[in-house]
Amino acid sequence: MSEKKLFFDAGPIITLVMSRLSWILPKLKEQFNGEFYITPAVKYELIDRPLTISRFQFEALQVLKLIRDGTLKIYDKVPQQQATRLKNLANSSFKLNNKSVDLIQAGEIESVTSSLQEEDSAVVMDERTLRLFIENNKEMKSLLERRFKRTVSANSVKMNQFSQQLKDVKIIRSIELIALAYKLGFLKNYVPKKKNGNKLLINSILWAAKYNGCAVTPHEIEEIKNYLIK
Amino acid sequence: MKEVIKKEILYDLREAIKILEKREDKDFQELKVLSNHAIEDVAAHKDLDVISLTVLIYSIYKVVNCLNDQDYKDILLLLEKSENSLVRGNLGKYNSHIKKLFQIVEGCNAKVKEHLQDVMQAAKIKKGTILLEKGLSIGQAAGLMGLSNWDLQQYASKTNVFSNHHEAIPAVKRLQRAQKIFGVS
Repeated sequence: MSEKKLFFDAGPIITLVMSRLSWILPKLKEQFNGEFYITPAVKYELIDRPLTISRFQFEALQVLKLIRDGTLKIYDKVPQQQATRLKNLANSSFKLNNKSVDLIQAGEIESVTSSLQEEDSAVVMDERTLRLFIENNKEMKSLLERRFKRTVSANSVKMNQFSQQLKDVKIIRSIELIALAYKLGFLKNYVPKKKNGNKLLINSILWAAKYNGCAVTPHEIEEIKNYLIK
Repeated sequence: MKEVIKKEILYDLREAIKILEKREDKDFQELKVLSNHAIEDVAAHKDLDVISLTVLIYSIYKVVNCLNDQDYKDILLLLEKSENSLVRGNLGKYNSHIKKLFQIVEGCNAKVKEHLQDVMQAAKIKKGTILLEKGLSIGQAAGLMGLSNWDLQQYASKTNVFSNHHEAIPAVKRLQRAQKIFGVS
């Protein structure tokens, strides 16, 4: 049986570090019983680049520590050709004034294409654009139409080709990881000793995820909250 | 420079000149509107000159109210010179005028010390957030504006950029998916 793998995009790690919750990752990995991976492009965005920017150096060091401790590993088998091909397909799906709109970068698609080639795997991605493109491309189209005040034309054949090729990729977000951490009791020391203490903790961690970068709607937060309180 | 890019830049330059020709209170608002128009050109063309001019217009908008009369006149003059250079196809001169314009804005920023981060950085982050709003991914928007994902994610997550969409998968279903992946019942 192949080893379980979870691929992280840069966004969820940024969310967890900014929310001061990156310490849940080693515990979650233990529960997962498999490997947590980041691709070289994600490593560049999480570590190499912020190490050159004073205001994010310590955050980069926190991620580096996760690698040093073995929580995160670098995945060196990224199918680059497939990533480039899928990026080109996505970026030629929409046109603005007859010019294609580059919506995503090659690096962002690395985690997804890596997951695609691994049997027992999933992706953690907070990014809204790529997720919508894979899971709900009609919403992607209407989002662009709403936001640009110019004519946006969509090539539905390309859009569907893209979504079809990635339809089997399982995507979760940092907010789900945080909710799991709560469910597994990792956060129990934070429950305040007062009435509705659990409710307060759940509310605080879910909104922390949102305010630190996870693309989640207030309505979704309510749904998750109700589910966890049940 | 491609003709279509030149056309867009000339449009933005001429509009900026028109706004600044006479110093009025409404300059502030009009520059903001122009800067929002210009960001759509960034998304459409992914061109460095367009990005640079968009950031410049936004920066002028941010400092216009605190410019002294001389700086205000110099900005107008340099915008006119930039336009002339571009019309004549003299890109070297055009770039040099744009550089001088940035220097004036930066000088003004040093005087006002508006934010902890300088106006240029704020302009890039603000415009990057608008690109996110338009539907670009965080990596693409950050890349175009020369920002790190950390910068953009930190700022944009405090706005409603990441919550104005409809998810295809209900939140509870996604959480149950996560539970399954992690073997949590």
